[in-house]
Amino acid sequence: MIVDSRVYLGSCLFGYGQSVDEVLSNMDRLGIDRAVLAPVKPPQYRLGPANDLVAECVAQHPDRLVALCRVDPWQGEASVTEVRRCLGELGACGLYLDPWEENFQVNEDIVLPLVEEAGHHSRPVVVNGGHVRVSHPTQIWDLARRFPDVQIVAGNGGQINICGMLLSETRRMLEACPNVVIDTAGTYREDFLEEIVTEVGEERVLFASGSPVYDQEFEMARVRLAHLNATQKAKVWGSNALAAFGIPAGCD
Amino acid sequence: MQTPMIIDSHTHVDRVGWYDPPETIIRLMDEAGIAKSIIMTYGEAPDAEGSIEYIAQAVERYPHRLIGYARMHPGRGHEAHHLFRKAMEEYGFKGLKLHPVGSLCHPAEAETLDMIRLATRYHAPVLFHCGDEELTLPLQVAQAAESCPEATIILGHMGGYFHWRDAIRVAERCPNIVLDTSALPYPRAIKEAVDRLGSSRVLYASDGPGCDPSIEVHKVRLAGLAAQDEDAVFHHSIQVILDRVTISGER
Repeated sequence: MIVDSRVYLGSCLFGYGQSVDEVLSNMDRLGIDRAVLAPVKPPQYRLGPANDLVAECVAQHPDRLVALCRVDPWQGEASVTEVRRCLGELGACGLYLDPWEENFQVNEDIVLPLVEEAGHHSRPVVVNGGHVRVSHPTQIWDLARRFPDVQIVAGNGGQINICGMLLSETRRMLEACPNVVIDTAGTYREDFLEEIVTEVGEERVLFASGSPVYDQEFEMARVRLAHLNATQKAKVWGSNALAAFGIPAGCD
Repeated sequence: MQTPMIIDSHTHVDRVGWYDPPETIIRLMDEAGIAKSIIMTYGEAPDAEGSIEYIAQAVERYPHRLIGYARMHPGRGHEAHHLFRKAMEEYGFKGLKLHPVGSLCHPAEAETLDMIRLATRYHAPVLFHCGDEELTLPLQVAQAAESCPEATIILGHMGGYFHWRDAIRVAERCPNIVLDTSALPYPRAIKEAVDRLGSSRVLYASDGPGCDPSIEVHKVRLAGLAAQDEDAVFHHSIQVILDRVTISGER
């Protein structure tokens, strides 16, 4: 079972994007069973319709796709209401926060009611992680320690620093916060992923491509060629994601 | 079908900090089908005591597989220059590695330029760490390339996650800049670099052993280059650069 834990859907303000047909076609080509979809930030800046689009696509392909909802914390109470709508009415499996594109620090006060709302629904919070100044591993750590009962997924391995300066910081964050897991998209250094799986925990790493920001086929190679045993790889490929997002294993 | 020869232009061995003995990179090279790798330490000589000798010993142990670059601290003046000359003339090193985050020396400050000019006497390439961090940005390293037009300046990681477009732009402006493909996660960036600069100015590199050379090879293949360009990126372009290196610096 291969679950891609973060795939973007829609046409983005920043020039990237993909349709649901492209998502499904690539999944078939690459042997991906299920994908967790996050809305892009659309040119109109309105995330509500983007959440609706993702929900509609998931409704059409419930055996292949699950939804994350996305909100802008700067919208205050309206963003909390939108999280409630998406996790309730629309059936989203978690909340996606993008501090990089929505321009907020992930441990800001404006974020806290959103995480609290996700916690009320027992749903995970996925963070576009590793961006210095807005989703640095210490900032994710600061958020996670305040919500020890909420599952946090730190995207991009929690660090995308090509200098390697954040490798040990991210490991410290993971060791201090049992409620945090990382996804593999774009991560700097495959030996870091291997180290986290073998030394911190086999349940702490989820495969994700972050496509189309990152190349889905290339991102799969990080797991396929990893120096891990079959059990560890099976967890990274899919079973850890099923657990984190509450996806029933037998759906397909 | 014959497997193309691959030279990895940017890998590491070291005995302190991130402990990576030469056997680690040799094992990963074997897995990836890589013929030769250019190795350098994580620390700067002369501060990282014995680092030049460590590289020399690794190359001596695997003379047909490993090629040495000297990672130097440009701020250490005469001592650094003396050690670099020794590395080139006695140990047969082939290049200079500079990491401004490690040394805190700006790429275009006087001491750095002196170090680059010393390398240029041997026609040796200068590989900069070039990512998203201060002192390593493409637009900063380009200042050194413009000040030393006779030098071959390699932008390692070709600008990292967020500055690869800058890396291509400065390479278009500076004909003495070459890009290495290590660690950045975008096959499309490699394709764009080859399309705009030509494959003679793009080098396959992994930044191994941290970044798995097999995965980095896969990344270049996903770029969808023409066979001739892929061959150049995998080995020919760096071989041309290495063939220019002389054992004795022109004074």
